[in-house]
Amino acid sequence: MKVNKGTSLPFYRPLNPAHIEKIDGAARWILEHIGIKIHDRHFLELMDQGGATVDSATSTVRFSAERLDKALAEAPRKFILHSRDGLNDIRLGEDRVYFTNGGRVFRALDVNSGNYRLTTLEDVANTAALVNRLAHINFYIIACQAHDLEPEHYHLNDFYHAFNATSKHVMGGCDSLVGVQQVWDLAALMAGGEQQLKERPFFSVITNPISPLTIESNTLNILGFCCSHGIPATCAPAPICGATAPATLAGALTQMHAEALAGVAIAQIFAPGSKVLYGAVLTAMDLRTMDFTMGSVEMAMMNAAAVQLAKRYDLPIYASAGVTESKRPDVQAGSEKSFSNLMVAMAGGDCVHLAAGMLDSGNSISYEQYVIDNEILGMVQRILAGINVTEETLALSVIQKVGPGGNYVMEDHTIDHMMDEFFYPDLCERHLFDIWVQQGRPNMLSRATAMVENILEAHKDCLDPQLNSRIRSAFPGIKDV
Amino acid sequence: MAEFNALTESVIKGDIKSAVAETQKALETGQDIQSIIDDGLIRAMDDVGERFSKGQIFVPQMLRSAKTMQECMKLIQPHFKEGDVKAKGKVVIGTVKGDLHDIGKNLVSMMLEGAGFTIIDLGVDVNPEAFVEKVKETEADIMGMSALLSTTMPAMRHTIDALKEAGIRDQVKVMIGGAPVTDDFAREIKADAYAPDAGSAVIQTKKLLGLS
Ligand code: B1M
Repeated sequence: MKVNKGTSLPFYRPLNPAHIEKIDGAARWILEHIGIKIHDRHFLELMDQGGATVDSATSTVRFSAERLDKALAEAPRKFILHSRDGLNDIRLGEDRVYFTNGGRVFRALDVNSGNYRLTTLEDVANTAALVNRLAHINFYIIACQAHDLEPEHYHLNDFYHAFNATSKHVMGGCDSLVGVQQVWDLAALMAGGEQQLKERPFFSVITNPISPLTIESNTLNILGFCCSHGIPATCAPAPICGATAPATLAGALTQMHAEALAGVAIAQIFAPGSKVLYGAVLTAMDLRTMDFTMGSVEMAMMNAAAVQLAKRYDLPIYASAGVTESKRPDVQAGSEKSFSNLMVAMAGGDCVHLAAGMLDSGNSISYEQYVIDNEILGMVQRILAGINVTEETLALSVIQKVGPGGNYVMEDHTIDHMMDEFFYPDLCERHLFDIWVQQGRPNMLSRATAMVENILEAHKDCLDPQLNSRIRSAFPGIKDV
Repeated sequence: MAEFNALTESVIKGDIKSAVAETQKALETGQDIQSIIDDGLIRAMDDVGERFSKGQIFVPQMLRSAKTMQECMKLIQPHFKEGDVKAKGKVVIGTVKGDLHDIGKNLVSMMLEGAGFTIIDLGVDVNPEAFVEKVKETEADIMGMSALLSTTMPAMRHTIDALKEAGIRDQVKVMIGGAPVTDDFAREIKADAYAPDAGSAVIQTKKLLGLS
């Protein structure tokens, strides 16, 4: 199945129009009366010059309705997260749903031993290679911490190895201004110049405010760099219901919406027209124990509702789904991931991140889980594509031809439509019992293990050797994996 | 045994206003201090603990009850004679340098406070010198460090080194925690304790101070 055209999105709307207006009104009130805390004089001045209301005594920035609307009007409704080969461009704001993996974990599951280990640069390259091959993970987010790297050339290396392993769009967090500058320099060389890169940016950057209602200056440095260089970015709030956000879903949504709109507005003050995604990473605490929960069903509902709130302003959204507390690719992982991916996709989230590869509340990845989630996402895309009803698909003439008591196996109509009507899973069990036994009783996980091996074995570097040698001589800080 | 049903009820409910009023009333009517504590406050907290362990109440309620008890104790304290109660222990706590995650650290602080410890919270992105200075200044019993990034875990080691350099490593117990932190890591950097969650942090603190 191809990426859905989304003509009838959204199917799922947890909020009705009156709810949306209430939440939006409350969020705007927050921005006008409470504001966002920024502990940095330089940025407070910048916001002041940009027409926001700055209270230096409390280090807060507030937005009048007019200033907010002006900023939001400047934010692009549509833009593209480019792939390098043009085959996997992410067209935001066109009622399409794209999925991507989750980023920056610190450990990986070794399915064979059942143990976890710290992640390395090789895991960045391998997960990027997996995403490159997996059709339903539409772009790549730097998946894990490379613990074998020193901070000095950190982002030069994690982005380089991602670029070398996939030609899909690459997104990632950057720890510092120096880090994002390194990636920019690398990408500009790859693009053939800064202007070419600005025209077709093939990487983008994730930043986060700190809920409730605070943004750090390092975050603003990085966001500011992106805005002035035409790099698409998000400033995605990650409030936790019951800890850093109210325990009510509506309250958490209201605060998140204020934070997300502030991120978009601040980006426009940095540079009007900045390509910024409204960001939302809503989660909750299990208040029985105060355990952090990403895989809750409320998480799925809130992140779907967040899509509606972004669409209130026609803004493309960096939404979240596909997470679980489970420590293994198991029944819990499968059900929680399916629920949230489906719900947020049915709400029409432009890009749904965390959708693949993660386990253990976003602390861990498993290669096998990438492959399994890819299959879940393929089913979600199939659902979004809907049921095609035309004269041809109604099939009256072939029904008449076959007549009562016949069958359709060898009909032209069957052969004409078999490829585009069905999603064909690679991992799900579909054989008869005896065949299954003959095959050694495989299951989704055992098939995923084999598939991971095949993909990684067949993988070839994406960077052209000539370009690669120019990169390597220009950036001696790049390490091999 | 004196009856403090209204007080007990208010602490169980976490109703600070009415618990404080009940405590005030008890003090004014000349009730025995030890009895207000034992038959009023501690009885309430025992009940809270039992309800929590049965899953009948949740963490926010337990923390509210603990907070309510503390507010009542503030009223009672001035009535103590010298040596009547001894403070349970002082904990200097913070998220280490380079790390801005504070939800876990705050939960640990709330739980410890609820268990009767005095908390000095240094916030986030706390450099080793700031930890050392505060430990010296407050003569803390415990120094707690939280790290949520695998990349900021080395700052825990640096902070312990800074304690050594300041010559106060043996005057304070060090407890560490946070999602990427492990028991092995705690041993490696010679921290005195590791706690996987806030409940365990209370147990470890009590152990370190010989209170359990
Ligand atoms: C003293 O004794 C003790 C004893 C016990 C102690 C203790 C101390 N401290 C904790 N405990 C223990 O008791 C607590 C209660 O039971 C527990 O505390 P926890 O803190 O574990 O649990 C809390 C109750 C709930 N858990 C949390 O609050 C953390 C949740 C996750 C999702 C998380 C959040 C929310 C955030 N983040 Co961040 N974040 C993640 C987290 C993934 C995860 N599942 O943990 C993690 C830790 N973050 C990560 C990253 C990469 C980042 N984050 C960043 C930012 C943020 C937010 C601001 C968005 C937000 C923090 C808000 C805040 N006020 O703290 C950035 C770094 C900022 C910085 N310099 O610190 C940024 C770099 C993101 C970026 N832009 O690229 C990853 C770390 C990877 C690594 N290398 O280790 C990460 C695993 C998620 C991920 N996959 O990306 C125990 O660990």
